[in-house]
Amino acid sequence: MKEIIKITFALTISCMIAASAMGLTYTVTAKAKKHNHHMNVYNAMVGLLGFGEENPAPSDLKFLHVYRYIVEDGDKKFLGYMVPVEKGSEEAYEMVLMDLEGNFVEKLEVPISAEKVEEDLDRAKALQEVLAPPKTFSYADSSVVATSGGKRLGYVMPGKFPGFRTFIHALVAMDPKFELLGLEVMEHEEDAGLGKNIEEEYFKNQFKGKTYEKLQTLKVVKKPLPVEYKKYLEESKWEEGMFTEEDIAEIRKQYKDADIYAITASTISSKAVTDGVKILAKKFAYRIGKLDSVLKKEEIHAAF
Amino acid sequence: MKELRRYQWLVGILLVALFLTGCKTGHQFVKKTEFKDSDKIIISFAGPVDEAWATNVGSYAVYEKPDPDIVLNIKGIALNSERTVATITFAAPLNTGEAHILNTTGIMSEGQDLGAGMLTVKKLYIGVLISILLGAALINNFVFTKYLGLCVFFGCSQKRGTAIGMGLVFTIVLSFAAVMAWALYQFVLKPYQLTFLNIVVFIGLVSLSVQGVDTILRKINPALFKAFGVYLVLVIANCIAIAVPLMLADNEYTGWESFSLALGAGIGFLIALFLMACVRERLELAKVPPSFKGLPIAFVVAGLFALAFLGFSGLSIY
Amino acid sequence: MAIQEKTNRQLFVDGILSENPIFKLALSMCPAVGISTSVMNGILLGTAVLFVQVCSSCTIALVRNYIHPKIRIPTYTLTIATWVTVIDLVLAAYVPVAYKAMGLFVRLIVAFAIITMRLEMFASREPVGKSFWDGMGMGLGFMFAMMVLGAVRELLGQGKLLGFDILGFGPLLYFVLPCAGFVVVGLMMGFFNWIEVVYNRRKEA
Repeated sequence: MKEIIKITFALTISCMIAASAMGLTYTVTAKAKKHNHHMNVYNAMVGLLGFGEENPAPSDLKFLHVYRYIVEDGDKKFLGYMVPVEKGSEEAYEMVLMDLEGNFVEKLEVPISAEKVEEDLDRAKALQEVLAPPKTFSYADSSVVATSGGKRLGYVMPGKFPGFRTFIHALVAMDPKFELLGLEVMEHEEDAGLGKNIEEEYFKNQFKGKTYEKLQTLKVVKKPLPVEYKKYLEESKWEEGMFTEEDIAEIRKQYKDADIYAITASTISSKAVTDGVKILAKKFAYRIGKLDSVLKKEEIHAAF
Repeated sequence: MKELRRYQWLVGILLVALFLTGCKTGHQFVKKTEFKDSDKIIISFAGPVDEAWATNVGSYAVYEKPDPDIVLNIKGIALNSERTVATITFAAPLNTGEAHILNTTGIMSEGQDLGAGMLTVKKLYIGVLISILLGAALINNFVFTKYLGLCVFFGCSQKRGTAIGMGLVFTIVLSFAAVMAWALYQFVLKPYQLTFLNIVVFIGLVSLSVQGVDTILRKINPALFKAFGVYLVLVIANCIAIAVPLMLADNEYTGWESFSLALGAGIGFLIALFLMACVRERLELAKVPPSFKGLPIAFVVAGLFALAFLGFSGLSIY
Repeated sequence: MAIQEKTNRQLFVDGILSENPIFKLALSMCPAVGISTSVMNGILLGTAVLFVQVCSSCTIALVRNYIHPKIRIPTYTLTIATWVTVIDLVLAAYVPVAYKAMGLFVRLIVAFAIITMRLEMFASREPVGKSFWDGMGMGLGFMFAMMVLGAVRELLGQGKLLGFDILGFGPLLYFVLPCAGFVVVGLMMGFFNWIEVVYNRRKEA
């Protein structure tokens, strides 16, 4: 009996020491992790909009998040867009409710600050106050509107779609006319040497410059990627004098309406990404159109 | 092996429970809704419906569950001669991985309005589970495509008897541990934001289920324990046992899905062990260069197996 | 066991060469097959293993006189799991790119037989100083083996080393493919055995 007590005591003590060590590390690293993740996404978005070392981003570049919720009231369904609005000098958030056909229903002020808005839990807490039961809401997705000097530079949509192994997380950027600005693969678990090549410039840059019309019929073709096109796509490997302005313009023109060339031996991954981008872009273009017309009609001064 | 037959009824109950969770529509007059091909939805009614209503495109509104605002374009509707089965064809391929909601106006049958329906169309749940199971066993075989559990894999694949024993014990313990890990993760760790304790908790849980199975087996069936008891200790040394709980936490699987992932992982491990043991029994007789005897040649053989398992990768089951 | 008489330096060197965890003891094979596609991966996971091994060895050596013999193994597991959690959180926070490259394997260090074995065989009997050097040797031995494997696969598969283009072309894509890990490890083991055989034969002659 005495031994059991001794063992229990020893185990409890060691568990407590271990737990406090882990808890301490967690509290120290949690903040850094969030910050790093945030910076990672931010840099990817800046890059997608075409800014880089040679072409620095304007100082008033802002990324404004729009959060989409599905709100249910009994058996009626609404879409709720949580948009940043201009209210004097401060940034405030409003929930714009519309019905499924895109007609305005109601707008609600959401009591939340700009720092807290990116946290799922904080957002849910704030929304709970304005959308009391029997209304229920569930988070659907978010998208980002990039603005500078009061003008829209483009949209960035985070999305996730099933790849060959597991889900692929990606960012897709479009300009205000819904022309694709680019694709950035954030997370995936595709195979090294095969599907992993979706990260490579020669694949993801193929999406650059595809128009919205082309996107509707965009396909994946199993043809070898032309050498010249590949060189052009691998922008980071460009050397001085490799392409003249005219060359670039010509290649761009030639391949503007080309389909996506599949990665060798990874057609499924290539197709998964292409389909994912297509669906993401299509849904977003449809929704932002509806949202914009409601915002205009109801004279809601969104910050974008 | 005969000892195991006694537990057949358990498997039976599990299967029945699974089937029951899959069957539910949303309107009493609708028997079944299902996807067909990539662009069709089939609705089976309990009795004949009016043709004018059933073939009218305006009677239906279909959308993916998370996107209620985007109604899908319907290309055409066909009704069979008994007027009980309607096939809706869509303009674009459906994303069948997602549940679809099918709203109908009042269902008209023999001139009577039976009320509007909100039907859910989704893949049969058991199909999803089977695809997870086969996926974990073959397509993403933990040994040959994820490269986990290799220490035990090479240690226990010298004889076929050992391989089968190890594989079975591992499958059973892993299924226990995975379901417990899922419950603990979903109901304790996640709600209280303690997910950083994942590793400690899961490894503790695996040891605990090994100990649990050990004790129970010793009491209930000493004969079985005598045959398989030795392998129990080795389960903890197998990194698949800790990888499966971590994976189901990362991917937010449900209880049933966790169970089939664990079962699939176990079966995959059993298959890998058995195949390898068959080859290694013959390798004993083969003329292998002395420096390659034993482990090195086993690794090369495993490499060939891995190459062969790559062939499963394009397989889509459901 | 001869370990008792060894000096710190011998302990350290043994871990890297004659008791190399991957090539000689054939333990912790999973990462050796799974993510040895490049030298960088080897260095990263090697560092993580080194950290966990050294920290766990020192911790156990420190408290070795207080551990109740009946809960020896649970204590080891708890210690290792704690240190793995620490390195997991730290890597995820500060080097997210590298963390992603290693996938599950960082968290799976907890199930590496080599670490538990060293705790049981060495750290629970020896003072902190010796345990430290033993842990260093084992950790570096693991790192060394991972780097050798990574170098072979990266050079033959992509024609690169540490990301720098060496050959300018990839001779055999097969070596980067995941399934080649088994074959490369098998061939390397055979190669090391062969060297030993030849060496011994020369010595006898």
